Amino acid sequence: MTIDHPLPSSPSQIEENAEGLATPRRPGFIKNAILTQPQAIIGLVIIGVFVFIAIFGSYLEPYSTTEKTGPVYAAPSSAHWLGTDDGGVDMLSLLIAGTKVSLEVGFAAAVVAMVIGGAVGVLSGFIGGAVDILLMRITDIFLVIPDIPLMIVMAAIFGRSLRNIIIIIGIIYWTSTARLIRAQVKSVRERIYVKRARSLGASNNRLVFKHVLPQVAPLLIANTVLMVALAIFAETYITFLGLGDPSAISWGRLIENAFQGNAVLNNAWWAIVPPGVCVTVVILACTMVGQSLEDALNPRLKVGHLSVRRFRLRPLHGKLEAE
Amino acid sequence: MSDQPILRAEDLHVWFDLPNGELHAVQGITFELRPGERMGLVGESGCGKTTAILALMGLLPASASVAGSVFLEGEDILARGEETVSPHRWRDIAMVFQGAMNAFNPVKTIGSQLVEPMELHGTATGKVAKAQARELLQMVGIAGERADRYPHEFSGGMRQRAAIALALACEPKVLLADEPTTALDVMVQAQILELLVRLTRDLGLSMILVTHDLPVVAQVCDRAAVMYAGEIVEMGAMSTIYHDPRHPYTRMLFGATPDLLGDDNVISIPGAPPRLDREIVGCPFAPRCDSTFSPCNVAHPRRLEIATGHEAMCHLNDTVSVLEPA
Amino acid sequence: MEGRADYIIKRSLFAILTVFVAVTINFVLFRALPGDAVSGLRCQHCTKQYKAAMRRELGLDKSKWQQYVIYLKNLAHGNLGNTDVSHLPVRGQLWDPLKNTLMMLTLGTVFSIIFGLITGVVAAWRRGTWVDRGSLWTALAFYSMPTQWLGLMIVYFVADRVGLPHGGIQSPDLGILGPPSTWAYWSDRVEHMILPALTLGLVLYGEYTLIVRSAMLETLGEDYVLTARAKGLTNFAIVRKHGLRNAMLPIVTLIALSLGFIVGGAITVEYVFDYPGIGLAIVEAIAQRDYSFLQGAFLLLTISVILFNFLADLLYFKLDPRVTT
Repeated sequence: MTIDHPLPSSPSQIEENAEGLATPRRPGFIKNAILTQPQAIIGLVIIGVFVFIAIFGSYLEPYSTTEKTGPVYAAPSSAHWLGTDDGGVDMLSLLIAGTKVSLEVGFAAAVVAMVIGGAVGVLSGFIGGAVDILLMRITDIFLVIPDIPLMIVMAAIFGRSLRNIIIIIGIIYWTSTARLIRAQVKSVRERIYVKRARSLGASNNRLVFKHVLPQVAPLLIANTVLMVALAIFAETYITFLGLGDPSAISWGRLIENAFQGNAVLNNAWWAIVPPGVCVTVVILACTMVGQSLEDALNPRLKVGHLSVRRFRLRPLHGKLEAE
Repeated sequence: MSDQPILRAEDLHVWFDLPNGELHAVQGITFELRPGERMGLVGESGCGKTTAILALMGLLPASASVAGSVFLEGEDILARGEETVSPHRWRDIAMVFQGAMNAFNPVKTIGSQLVEPMELHGTATGKVAKAQARELLQMVGIAGERADRYPHEFSGGMRQRAAIALALACEPKVLLADEPTTALDVMVQAQILELLVRLTRDLGLSMILVTHDLPVVAQVCDRAAVMYAGEIVEMGAMSTIYHDPRHPYTRMLFGATPDLLGDDNVISIPGAPPRLDREIVGCPFAPRCDSTFSPCNVAHPRRLEIATGHEAMCHLNDTVSVLEPA
Repeated sequence: MEGRADYIIKRSLFAILTVFVAVTINFVLFRALPGDAVSGLRCQHCTKQYKAAMRRELGLDKSKWQQYVIYLKNLAHGNLGNTDVSHLPVRGQLWDPLKNTLMMLTLGTVFSIIFGLITGVVAAWRRGTWVDRGSLWTALAFYSMPTQWLGLMIVYFVADRVGLPHGGIQSPDLGILGPPSTWAYWSDRVEHMILPALTLGLVLYGEYTLIVRSAMLETLGEDYVLTARAKGLTNFAIVRKHGLRNAMLPIVTLIALSLGFIVGGAITVEYVFDYPGIGLAIVEAIAQRDYSFLQGAFLLLTISVILFNFLADLLYFKLDPRVTT
């Protein structure tokens, strides 16, 4: 059982047992994959914009994020571009501050998941045997752990802080990365050049770092990008349940505030719409990039025999070849 | 055999859209099929033979455009494209596909897939249809009870037979067989061919057999058309073509076949067919031909009748070209 | 066939094992909480001695291992303990909310399947055109929206416009003029279910779209579709008879897998729409620190997810004759 729903998945991701995706042999594969697909570029640009806002946010905020600087639930005006919330705090400033927190949590949690999942996947796939079986069983157990109780317990024991949220998300989500990486490592391992290197007496470490990792890296990166989307999503969920960090301003918190503060009854759409739009846009952007990478790794070509338009008729004209 | 052709293609062209430009896959072929006749359509892969027979049934994708006519018992079935051709599908003209292995939907029984066209075209329904399906299977040498089995439970050879049975489901007049014996071992091949011959004779069917395998054609067909680069370069009775080929390609093709009885002289034809996305100047076979002379690279050869029922498209047969000063 | 019986047995054993593991994890998790059901008690006579006595009574003074055994024994009898807040049996407290949630979830799943089927088929049919891309990105956009936010948006922008209630499960004016007729009662209920179910449907249909489209494309590229076209079937007939059937297989699996996710979504949706189902009960229990209730509720949810996964396995197995191991 997992939080709300899993990461936005591309068709290629739906097969869980990815049997050896196409391996990128050329360096610069990632650059190539991204630059040739417009959706990846758009995605990167969007993410870039938000990252910029996150980094330089404090300079961009027009007002304080903690003090009342306007009337309660004031509509957008030239003074407050996105109006104010139920405490009279400027929404735009809150939104900008939220960008920093949400992206922070998103990237950090994704990194945690990637590190754990990647390590487990590589170890499991490369070493194989008993280690593989053991690690996979552990993965299965983690899959069965219901996420909300885990969150509740961790919040109760360790308190509600951003750091804990990051850890929780990482713990819940590393399993899919591990599975994916394991499959890829297994297939890479079987490739000839690895066998060749091994027969030459290359040490395991060398094999892993020089041969396996480069082939696995693009997949890992694609997966991490999608994981960022998932983590940002998870944060909104956790916060909404009341298990979030009470002192942190994130998009999730803004949505929760809108709910608790009866924004609907107050017709304060400016308190509801912006944070959700930000979340959706960032997640979509991550999906665009991640999916482009994945599609580059796993191209599919199929001729469709079915189409609405049929073959066309042409009139015979001009000279004929026969006598 | 009566005289009126049951199927006649006249100046049939097929183009496929390419990202930049077009592929002229079939370049104006004309031929006739008489009732009860078995005609072979031979050529290397990529010569357009499969596309040509797909065009006969209008089974081309949206990226294709077609010109020319196909007369089925006198009626131009390509006159208005899909509209005029689809009523004839399976009822009058049916196909045994290349790679029949995958012609069947894996999640449905063979029997149900045989029944489907019967019910669709109203030739039989319900119990009658099921019984007919079993009969069809038996006719091709498969036990009737197997109708309730799934495709993956049949061997390759059996699936090919089932595909033949499927093609016969609505008692068509014309059978198009596209490489029916590729990917089958020699013994099974022989059986399938024998089956096809027997069926066409017993049921009075006409057949076009598409293949790149010459011994197959020689064994089964009364007439043959040789295709190269989207055109029919020679056509005639089987024995005539075999003994008196009038196109170098035909000659080299037959020469390239290992002759089990004679000596080991395997002549393979060096080179590759020309690209069909550009206009070809002169004879398309010229680059690979061993008998070129002056007109070959300049003018496209005319389609000439050598004798009744034997035609070839080569300058060597054209007295005009031969007499033309170099 | 031998292989098939084998498969069923293997899956059943696996399911049972998973249930067992889930039960154990459930126990471990909730016992890991600091304090126990008794320490948080605040009442006039809750002296130390009283609490100690309660502990003894509830068996909380025994070792963890013994508590585990007692827990299992209770479970075997269907006893899920009592809630911390009202001290009523958890089992009884679960029943009504569960019913409400199930109805709403079913409706939500139906929505998402319908949306997914339509958009997936259309996208595959018109592959490569803007219709295809538009469908996919719209689906992905909905999928990327936080469920609670979408719910809020729907309440704000849609509810009044279509005359549907903002939340709850029953209109306050329903029984005013005397007991409502069955029809009035149920239509009122359904009215309250539509928007939350719609929210869920919108958020989750995207994955169905992807799967349907992918399965359709895979199917439509198959040789047997060319054969079908050769036989004379129309586009529509081909999609209906061959395409859909093959596309159904992954849908079935997806439905079962989605159940875990749907439950999570139900929680947020019920919270936003104030819909008295299991989700809302859980949220309230979290706020009230009613861990006993939570333990029982999650056990129930986890087990039902495992059960549904198992059923999906069986169903897939039945639908695809190729699966023999």
